[in-house]
Amino acid sequence: MSGEARAFYAMDLGVATTAVALVGRVAGRLRLLGALSLPAGAPADAVLAALTARFVASDPLLAAALQTESSDRWPRLTARSTPPVGLAVIAATERSLEPLVAAGQRTGWRVRSGSAERLDSLALSSLLLDRDVRTILVGAGEPAAADERNALGSLAALAAAAASRRPELTVILTGAMAEQAPRFAAAPDRPGEVLLGPAATAGAPPGTALRELLGRARGGADESRPAFALGVRALAAALDRRVEGIEIGLDGGVRVQAGPGRTDEPGNLQWSVHASGGLAPIEPDEASIDGVLAWSTVRLDRHRTRDRLRDLRLLPWGHVAGEGAAFRLAAARAAVARLVAATPELSALPPADLLVVSGGAFAVAPGPAIALAVADVVRRAGAVQLAYDHARLLAPLGTIGAAPQRLAVVADLASDLLVPLGSVIMPQGMRAGRSGGRLVVHGTAGSSELDLLPGGLELVDLPPGETAVAEFEFRDTVRLGTRGRHFAIDVAGGLGGLLVDLRDVPLRLPDRPDRRRELLAAWQGALWIGGEP
Amino acid sequence: MTDPLARTMPPGLELVSSRRFIEPTVDAWLPLRPGDRPRVTAGQSVVPGIPLADRLRDARLIDVPARPGGKPGDRWSAAPAARGGEGSRSPHPEGEILFETGGRWRIAIGEQHEAVHSPIEGIVREVRPGVGLVIRSAGSALWGVLALGDAARGRLEIATGADGELRPRSLDVGSAGAILVVGARIDAEALTRARAMGIRGVIVATLPGKDRRDYLASEARQRSSLHQVPAFGVLVLHGSQRRPIAEGAMRLLERLAGREVAIVGTPPALVFDPQGVPPEVDPPDMIHVRSGPLAGRRGQWAGFAGLRRFSGGTHLEAALVRFGEDAPIAMPIGDLERLT
Repeated sequence: MSGEARAFYAMDLGVATTAVALVGRVAGRLRLLGALSLPAGAPADAVLAALTARFVASDPLLAAALQTESSDRWPRLTARSTPPVGLAVIAATERSLEPLVAAGQRTGWRVRSGSAERLDSLALSSLLLDRDVRTILVGAGEPAAADERNALGSLAALAAAAASRRPELTVILTGAMAEQAPRFAAAPDRPGEVLLGPAATAGAPPGTALRELLGRARGGADESRPAFALGVRALAAALDRRVEGIEIGLDGGVRVQAGPGRTDEPGNLQWSVHASGGLAPIEPDEASIDGVLAWSTVRLDRHRTRDRLRDLRLLPWGHVAGEGAAFRLAAARAAVARLVAATPELSALPPADLLVVSGGAFAVAPGPAIALAVADVVRRAGAVQLAYDHARLLAPLGTIGAAPQRLAVVADLASDLLVPLGSVIMPQGMRAGRSGGRLVVHGTAGSSELDLLPGGLELVDLPPGETAVAEFEFRDTVRLGTRGRHFAIDVAGGLGGLLVDLRDVPLRLPDRPDRRRELLAAWQGALWIGGEP
Repeated sequence: MTDPLARTMPPGLELVSSRRFIEPTVDAWLPLRPGDRPRVTAGQSVVPGIPLADRLRDARLIDVPARPGGKPGDRWSAAPAARGGEGSRSPHPEGEILFETGGRWRIAIGEQHEAVHSPIEGIVREVRPGVGLVIRSAGSALWGVLALGDAARGRLEIATGADGELRPRSLDVGSAGAILVVGARIDAEALTRARAMGIRGVIVATLPGKDRRDYLASEARQRSSLHQVPAFGVLVLHGSQRRPIAEGAMRLLERLAGREVAIVGTPPALVFDPQGVPPEVDPPDMIHVRSGPLAGRRGQWAGFAGLRRFSGGTHLEAALVRFGEDAPIAMPIGDLERLT
């Protein structure tokens, strides 16, 4: 993309949603001029035309200055989500299989697996010959463990036979299994590649090297989730803050942690893509049902929950008015919970200053309700600012190939691309049953005082653009970043204001479904005006 | 930069998702497992009822010395000398080569087979032993969202209206050999009973997950018995939560009543001969409701309404839709679709 373009389109083409944004140069800097999201299935050109028409109608003078009549020649930054594809993982032993499966799951594959220890050759062959499998990963330790060595030859023979019958398969051999590569000698007309990779535990931290290989093998250059990670890194650098990004789509989710870096080197970046982090699993299992029921404010039994999840997958934009919106947000909470549970290595990093959420899962709910949904599930003691990638710009911006240009564009757009949802302050270690202390919020319009009741969720009105100082005096020592009783924290406003979350970390909800629903509905009702339980 | 089709349709309508209502042809996939024996070859024409493959019901592995020339996926049979003293009347062991290791072949083999017959007329496009085969249908296809059971063929009968529900006691043995259209939903008991009565298949708008699971469990029990069960297929047109069969689909099914049709599982579809069933072409402003309280109905596009507030405090891109002579109402665009 030319750095001097008058305007450009950013397109995030998801499995369920087509999101487009119009960015133009106004008074020497890039500004977000409009955004539109519609269910996938409409031609992207038609959606761009509708967005452009809206912009022209709302600001004809600026439209004339940007020469919208030539908008069909404006550059387009496009990120696409492709549905996770099947990866069959086989190994000699269950022990060697486990890290291989983990690597596949953390790079967004839909993993099926088996070991020679548990499955016979017939079952393993059936696994590799399944039509849904597009890539096979055959791995061993480096060097092979004593209990693996005897099975390596026959396992490689089995995989090579499957690869010869399905020449379109990509084959990845890792660790000591790479020595078996001659069995997979590529035929001239074989379209599938044979890749040699490191052992599952190689790299620092362990597994990084294989995950990089699997990520490359899976995605195209404009794949949206890796691009989202790069967009978050650029944002961290632009804002000079630690940023966490969570994106939930229909078919998968990604969690990113990025540091600001230094002037001479990019900030560190860790991210993980999971098919299990999608809004609606292909085949909801009992754990998925439990996850949604745990967060549902809608009265549903297990069977109806399963049916609604299946229909949500078939028609992600269907029936989202009324009760459907609340159900969708419950499914989004469950998806975030699955993603957080699947990424303990990211939870172990220092907490971010800013948490950005993105993706079609949040497209229907109002901002304050999104803030609460995130606070319900991502529970870390401390203070964090929440923001929403409302125009879904981060992934398209992440596709800009040159890092300095990406950083420059993100820095220019940083104030437009995020909708501030608010700040969340979450102390840990308050004792239940009595007043836990006092909070004074010093804002530009004056100060307000609040009694801190353990287990409660207090909302302080703090609109977007406002800042304040929250001064806490706890009766007992709590953990809030550090341990102490007195804290003064700079907070920024947002659609949800300041959420003082005095609930347990992690959150404990009543076991009885009706009481749990009532409690969740009460919390959500305060932040979702006109929402249905 | 706009869709060329958009010039012939009312403004804004191109923003609604579109899909093909009827596919002129479909590539039906029949999965094969290691050991199954294909009985057709690529390029071969097939008609309904022709055997496509012999499925192994009791696949197991044996280990035999490798011979020159064989490769994975090839058929293997025991040489007469290898059959010991069983004599020429003993069954001829036959299987499929899986792979070779240490100078020996691993063979998938079994004794009990069941024939899989073609439900449709078409041409075999691809045969991959142990993986599957593809038949390109000679007929057209109406998409569903899910198919259970087998590929099946029979004459189409309308058992209920689009919003009806078929109870087990309403099934009639006179429908044996038919594929029944049973309206909005059906339960597992009715499905099991339909199969037992010789009905070949069921087309239904929705099938709740519980009934799906109960039916699949019942089918698995049937399959574990020694005798071959007749083919029975279930085609779900729309999803899991109750709703009527869409008006457009119901009109097509009514026109197909009394004709031979087939249910195929991958992709889930109803395959029919389009001869004598000319396609109904929607007027350019016709819009179909695919979800929400009015699911199944169709109406006229009355314009793009922009962002509207709907119940539950949600703001969604909306369209105005007119049903019959009533005043247009605003509906979320996500609940609508165009059928081309």
